[in-house]
Amino acid sequence: MERYEVIIVGAGPSGLSAAIEAAKRGLKVIVFDENDKPGGQLFKQIHKFFGSKEHHAKIRGFRIGEQLLEEAAEAGVEVQLGATVIGLYSDKEVNVRIGDSIRHYKGDTVIVATGAAENMVTFPGWTLPGVIGAGAAQTMMNIHGIRPGKKVLMLGSGNVGLVVSFQLLQAGCEVVALVDAAPRIGGYGVHAAKVARCGVPFYLSHTITKAHGEDHVTGVTISEVDSHFTPIEGTEKTFEVDTICMAVGLSPMSQLLKMAGCEMEDNPKRGGQVPIIDDFGETSVSGIFAAGDVSGIEEASSAMIEGRMAGVCVSEYLGYLSEEEKEAELKKLEGDLDSLRQGMFAPKNRGKLIEKTDEGIDVSMNLLQKGYVSDDEIERFPGVVHRKGVHPVIECTQNIPCNPCQDACPKKCISTGDNITFLPFIKDDCECSNCGMCVASCSGQAIFLVDEDCGDGTATITLPYEFLPLPQVGDTGYGLSRSGEKLCEAEVVLVRSLKAFDHTNLLTMRVPKEYAMKARFFTKD
Amino acid sequence: MSRIIDRSMDIGEFVPQPDDDMLICRCEEITKGEIRRAVHDGMWTITEIRRYLRTGMGLCQGQTCSRLVKGIVARELHISPAELEPATSRSPMRPTEMKVMGNEEA
Repeated sequence: MERYEVIIVGAGPSGLSAAIEAAKRGLKVIVFDENDKPGGQLFKQIHKFFGSKEHHAKIRGFRIGEQLLEEAAEAGVEVQLGATVIGLYSDKEVNVRIGDSIRHYKGDTVIVATGAAENMVTFPGWTLPGVIGAGAAQTMMNIHGIRPGKKVLMLGSGNVGLVVSFQLLQAGCEVVALVDAAPRIGGYGVHAAKVARCGVPFYLSHTITKAHGEDHVTGVTISEVDSHFTPIEGTEKTFEVDTICMAVGLSPMSQLLKMAGCEMEDNPKRGGQVPIIDDFGETSVSGIFAAGDVSGIEEASSAMIEGRMAGVCVSEYLGYLSEEEKEAELKKLEGDLDSLRQGMFAPKNRGKLIEKTDEGIDVSMNLLQKGYVSDDEIERFPGVVHRKGVHPVIECTQNIPCNPCQDACPKKCISTGDNITFLPFIKDDCECSNCGMCVASCSGQAIFLVDEDCGDGTATITLPYEFLPLPQVGDTGYGLSRSGEKLCEAEVVLVRSLKAFDHTNLLTMRVPKEYAMKARFFTKD
Repeated sequence: MSRIIDRSMDIGEFVPQPDDDMLICRCEEITKGEIRRAVHDGMWTITEIRRYLRTGMGLCQGQTCSRLVKGIVARELHISPAELEPATSRSPMRPTEMKVMGNEEA
């Protein structure tokens, strides 16, 4: 039996973060992961993350994974891949399958960071090939470079459903509809808006009632549901699809903690069966900690902080840190975690209908129900201004903890005020240099540079563009509305792809000036 | 939290439903109807259901269906899924061949 001071189960964002904190203080650490590659779900995340600088905002998820691996290597973390933990006991014995044998390890402390598994919903035909989880779709597209299908229907409008829908579009799939049984979109409005302006229709208060096909999916029927989530007869709509993607939530994979005798609870707010833990992740079994999604479903940024907390706690538990040092470290991390848990989508607001922003502005109901802010709603938000010449238009309408835009502007035109969740506004003495840094920095792709009147009856709109093939200067096509409807003819007048934009290309299109505040996307055909 | 289930509770008769033939546990090929019937046969805990039907005991070890089975059983008993104690977790957590189990390195 081999002994380690810290045994960590799971090499995802929280497990690696925990390992780094412990290893850099000199603890003997090993991380087990059943996969062939470390990083958990981070390497499937090709989109830019939200948050502040400290939380890796505007950095793409897989890059955060790469940074984490580098940091772990520097700290001397030992990661054993292809290692499936099959047993965990209260005396901190860990049984691991490696290759064709079972090995026994003993930890002075154990951190369980096993993450979560995808939920499924059932309907006739749900077991047909072609019905897949959103995570599976991401693995196929972003790890293996395989397109999951040609025509896809997405069930679930949380951030996972929205982000994966956009990635499906990027991979060249047609997303025929985004469906959710809830009456309102669950994820960030900005994620919904970038899907909606590609023309994907949203069906809220709808659910799948049947998947069609004999040996694979050939179609799907959805129905509207009443307030008890019962399908209403006569409201059926059928789509021809080859893939049905489900993003209907995650369940913590907490079985190892239960096996170890940790006190558990069924907590719907945390996603299901979770260990009862203190503020820093310690379970009822002294020396066994839980971090990340296994102790409550959130997202990668908070998982990384929880991992660091657990790493700090085990360091103190084994005498590598004094209690004062631990308190100081935890206080800092707690502050970070707290700032991530602010705003409309904070865990405490889950499921609540918030009608006004912190600024007292009415939230766009169209955004919550159809995925885009309507033309008559958009003007009331502080980032939407009218100026002479080129200026930013920031269509950020919900309080979320994110502020890369204010650091991005070299002219300091943009501010989110005192609070990271406040809506960004454009300062009065703004001298926009049309550099495009704000457009590329916005993880929600909600910033546009608009010249409302070029003097010849046209306007130019610069928008973030993350599709291939990239249109060329001189290409003609159509300006699309926020809902993806063809509005007017448009011509590409500039395409910028700087390294600093990190693969968010800036496409500038010329449209008739009456569409300056309406056209928000470009299509060639 | 889970509570001890009152076995004298009246849950009514088994009423057939149109989607009773829908598979719930894919690994062991158990349908919604079989799970609902098992409840009316007196299997009121997840442990009993598992021993009776083998739901969640196949290749994926309940990764997909445990939440679904819990929901169906709870609805049949007219209680919240949170009140049902989940299945016991025991080693091996992942399907492991006997030859591997027998090949221990002490």
